[in-house]
Amino acid sequence: MPEEKEIVIKVSGLKKSFHVGEQDIPVLFGIDLEIRRGEFVLLVGPSGCGKSTLLHTIYGLESPTEGTVFIEEEDIWAKTKNWRANFRNRYIGFVPQQPFWIKSLTVIENIAIPGVIAGKTFSESITIAAKLIELVGMGKWANHRPFDLSGGQQQRIALARSLLLNPKFIIADEPTGNLDLKAGEQLMSLVGSISRQFQITIIMVTHNMDQYKFGSRIINMVDGRVTSDAINQQFIGMIDEATVQQAMQEASQTI
Amino acid sequence: MSFFSRIRKGKEGGAPEKTVPLGGSRVSFSPDIHFSHMLLSSVLFIGWRNMFANRMRSVLTVGGVAIGIGIITLLIALGFGVQGMVIREVTKNNPSDIIDISNKSLDNFALLDKATIGKMQNIDGIKEVEVRASIGGKFVSGESQTDVTLNAISRHFLDLARTDIREETREALFATPRAILVTPKLASLLGYENPEDIIGREIEYSAIVTSDMIASDLKEGEEAIPLDESQNKLNIVGVVKDPTRDDSVYAYVPLEVIRARYGNIAGQFAKARVEDESSIESVRLQIEQTAFVTESIVDTIADINSFFSIVRGILIVFGVIIMSISAMGMLNTLSVSLLQRTKEVGILKALGAKRSDIFKMFIFEAFLISFLGGSLGLLFGYGGAKGINTGVNFLAQKYDVASMNFVQLPSAFVISIVVFIFFLGLITGIFPALRASKIHALEALRYE
Repeated sequence: MPEEKEIVIKVSGLKKSFHVGEQDIPVLFGIDLEIRRGEFVLLVGPSGCGKSTLLHTIYGLESPTEGTVFIEEEDIWAKTKNWRANFRNRYIGFVPQQPFWIKSLTVIENIAIPGVIAGKTFSESITIAAKLIELVGMGKWANHRPFDLSGGQQQRIALARSLLLNPKFIIADEPTGNLDLKAGEQLMSLVGSISRQFQITIIMVTHNMDQYKFGSRIINMVDGRVTSDAINQQFIGMIDEATVQQAMQEASQTI
Repeated sequence: MSFFSRIRKGKEGGAPEKTVPLGGSRVSFSPDIHFSHMLLSSVLFIGWRNMFANRMRSVLTVGGVAIGIGIITLLIALGFGVQGMVIREVTKNNPSDIIDISNKSLDNFALLDKATIGKMQNIDGIKEVEVRASIGGKFVSGESQTDVTLNAISRHFLDLARTDIREETREALFATPRAILVTPKLASLLGYENPEDIIGREIEYSAIVTSDMIASDLKEGEEAIPLDESQNKLNIVGVVKDPTRDDSVYAYVPLEVIRARYGNIAGQFAKARVEDESSIESVRLQIEQTAFVTESIVDTIADINSFFSIVRGILIVFGVIIMSISAMGMLNTLSVSLLQRTKEVGILKALGAKRSDIFKMFIFEAFLISFLGGSLGLLFGYGGAKGINTGVNFLAQKYDVASMNFVQLPSAFVISIVVFIFFLGLITGIFPALRASKIHALEALRYE
């Protein structure tokens, strides 16, 4: 029996209400969650059940009304805004539902953005981005504008961007939501392989039941509560071994 | 959902065999995170690319600032240049340490006789006094004759009056017996098409001298000295062009030459040189306590300066109006840019950019626009003024008029423009930058 990995994210008694007009509308009703290193967690549930809110709270963008979020033993909501900004930048990769871009920059420059935010030069960041764009199989699009690409291609680029600073976690908010079945499967396969190869803990919101097979753990939410939390016995984690091996070799040689 | 089992009871799925860094070297987690900010070079790069991506808008905004600054620069460069040129031209033959002395009115005419000049020379601060008498007369050369004004001058009068007459010519006037200098027009009236040909010729002359032109304190008789045949001839030793008019008809003749023939003619005008320019006003006051009035180039310069101050005042009003329009254009551009880039701000913040990073991005974009526009404006404004100057000089050359430089850009103006464009960037950039930096990441990402 393999050794159980350490807990890296611990959510306790998490509640969130939104203040709309005179009313407080509760969205999360006391979530308790522990996520271990290397898990590929799929957060599933109907629209409006609070999964994106939970994701954003763990990512440090949406403050909780009550409860705590510990990441690597750090109570992130007890820290300052700038601390969380730095933390997100250095340790968490983010793949949003729509891949937002800096329109004036090229694909490779957009991938380099987390490095630029971390205080690296564009040139240093682009050197790293050049390897990642190959990893996601988009090398020939490096100097195009992101909006010239298809939805699936853009999400691959967003994935490359999320990996730039070698994160420990990836937070993905329904990245396949706007993709067709094939593009969605390809992206999930890529995320899964990267998660396994680089031991990155992933929390992803998804609606698509066909993609459940890619997750190592499925957390189902309904009306702001976790209704089921299970590991996937038939976790496939399809890996494009050739791509990953090549990128790994290049990365280890040059960095 | 048979393939799911309750968490923690099942096995970890697909554990990796090894971990390899992807991009950079893996940063070991530390609660003491080093706070980093975007480099200025990166901020400027993004600002520049954003301007380039919205080319038309950037060209219009930068162009607006450039036109505003350019027009002001052009007008100021010409304004200062013309002012400088006018002062240069006015002071060319009127050094600022010289006082012109003349009578208050013809009714109360006082002669500058020996006693009066002596008194003036005794005034503290006066270095020298030289006199001139203007006498009507007639010149005859062969068949030609013409009326003329004889400017009878004392020995060093020209030293105080004219800087454009060569030293040798001035010397010759007093070294040669009965010498005169004539204007080119006078030479042509006497039948010499080429004025230089008159040099070395002898002409006959007569002058109208009345008794009230003769100094009373001189012992010599009040009647004109009887005409001596050898005294009615004058030797032309040079041709002098009037600095202001080409058609002047006059001659310079030593006062002593006229006195030898007509008696002790007194000066009617004088020029006094002061020892120190700063004492000029007190010296003038003392001279004016006698029967004379004084004039100094300082008065003219003050008038010129005051005129150009008014012109500059009007230019400043125009400049403020032009720049207000440019500033509004800039503010509009930056506000629209913020609205269009709200999602960009959102993703940058989501990826870890701090408020200060976003603030810098927007404020430096404003600085980029204002400095680019300002620099282009300065360049084109000054270049335009130089172009006008060159064009005018080209025409001047064509019409045989001396070339002049009437473009001048004072360094104080350039410094104030630099300061101005800094504040233009700051003021127009600060509000969009503050607004952008305060946007919540999630709200920005949801912005439509």
